[in-house]
Amino acid sequence: MAAALELGELLPRLDRGEKLLLLDVRNQDEFESWKLEARRPVETLHVPYFDFIEDADAALARVPRGRELVVLCAKGGSSDMVVDLLGEAGVPARNVTGGMLAYGAYLEAVALPLVAAEAARFSLFQVNRRGKGCLSYVIVSGGEAVVVDPSRHASWYEDFAARHGARIVQVLDTHIHADHVSGGPELSRRLGVPYFVCAGTGFELRQPVAPFSDRQRIRVGGDRGVSIEVRVIRTPGHTPGSTSFLVDGRYLLTGDTLFVSSVGRPDLGGHVEEWGRELFVSLRERLADLPDEALVLPAHYAGSGEISAEGVVWGRLGALRASVAELQLETPDAFVDAVRGAVKDPPAAYARIIDVNLGAEASDEQISEWELGKNQCAVSARPARA
Amino acid sequence: MALKQLDVRGAKCPIPIVKAKKEMDALAPGDQLEVIATDPGSMPDFVGWAKTAKHALLKGQRTEKDETGRELYIHLLERK
Repeated sequence: MAAALELGELLPRLDRGEKLLLLDVRNQDEFESWKLEARRPVETLHVPYFDFIEDADAALARVPRGRELVVLCAKGGSSDMVVDLLGEAGVPARNVTGGMLAYGAYLEAVALPLVAAEAARFSLFQVNRRGKGCLSYVIVSGGEAVVVDPSRHASWYEDFAARHGARIVQVLDTHIHADHVSGGPELSRRLGVPYFVCAGTGFELRQPVAPFSDRQRIRVGGDRGVSIEVRVIRTPGHTPGSTSFLVDGRYLLTGDTLFVSSVGRPDLGGHVEEWGRELFVSLRERLADLPDEALVLPAHYAGSGEISAEGVVWGRLGALRASVAELQLETPDAFVDAVRGAVKDPPAAYARIIDVNLGAEASDEQISEWELGKNQCAVSARPARA
Repeated sequence: MALKQLDVRGAKCPIPIVKAKKEMDALAPGDQLEVIATDPGSMPDFVGWAKTAKHALLKGQRTEKDETGRELYIHLLERK
């Protein structure tokens, strides 16, 4: 086995701008469609692993000497071989354990900087699945935790809650996700706690879910005298069942309804006209009574430019009302035209992922394959806001 | 002209190409090798490898399902 480097060490070092050279040995297609990213630019050299198999000397000659070198492939197997070949040629290097598969599953949590009066009652964590640009949330209050939009790595959330002295009492999904398999049903089964998702018209949900109505309030942490309220707000459009959750009157978990620089795609069900109009109404009317001071916490982001100085992907609702291009459109027709013109074909695996999230069975291996790559849930993936 | 088969079902990269290269090098020009893999990543990998391979020409790729319903990725190579 070649020397290994865990993502938990590599990614923070790349984020700090340390001068490592990343040797990516995947094939051209995979390399072009999905790259390992950090807060600072990552210096990357691409030499496919099969070039090392075909002509090792020629491939080795392309690798600079005297650099700290880490080698990356799809699952960690080919990069392991390349690290061994480099070692035999006297070039020290380390293998990124698990490759892009592990990168796509890697989760890191950031505690939101709450104001003191809030922090006395609860903590709110944004869990960043950076390889896919997926965000989930853990709300902790009085020894209880609520998890929103968990990825399928259920045990990570169990461990995380336990480390924060809480037990998970409720799992929520903002909608039926199309880009990743939800960990909600599994967490619910393992812990025997209620799971909520609204699939909406046109979808046959085969998961048992807790019933929730619009504007219903969920109390968390009540038994210790500290509690917060999660308000359910129906915001259909990205999917017909899309729901936002307002935490403690200020933190708006929007799912894929509103991102910090775009809005959710309403085209993934093949009803861009109908769902687009619903999304317009959700954005213009359903969220209208929320103050500009509300903080939007979305389920996705498009790039590290959307991560704030605090390490959080968020935006003031008032600022987004002024800056997100799709929110400037005055009529449903203009909105539908704009979103129709901006969206691309959905990735092929989206239909299968939706099916699993509705309750269909699939193997871990299949799901891993379908989940490869970054999410494409936004109408447009514009770079950073100013 | 001979047709040989290489079964690399269940093997992950780099094994399918490591084994295919070894087999190809041992074949006579014009001989063919059919590689049966289960790793979907083998599709672009064989295309990429064949572009620079000294002895291997990629004649075709197809997918099939085996008796258990598992997806097979089959690559037909010819010794240059």
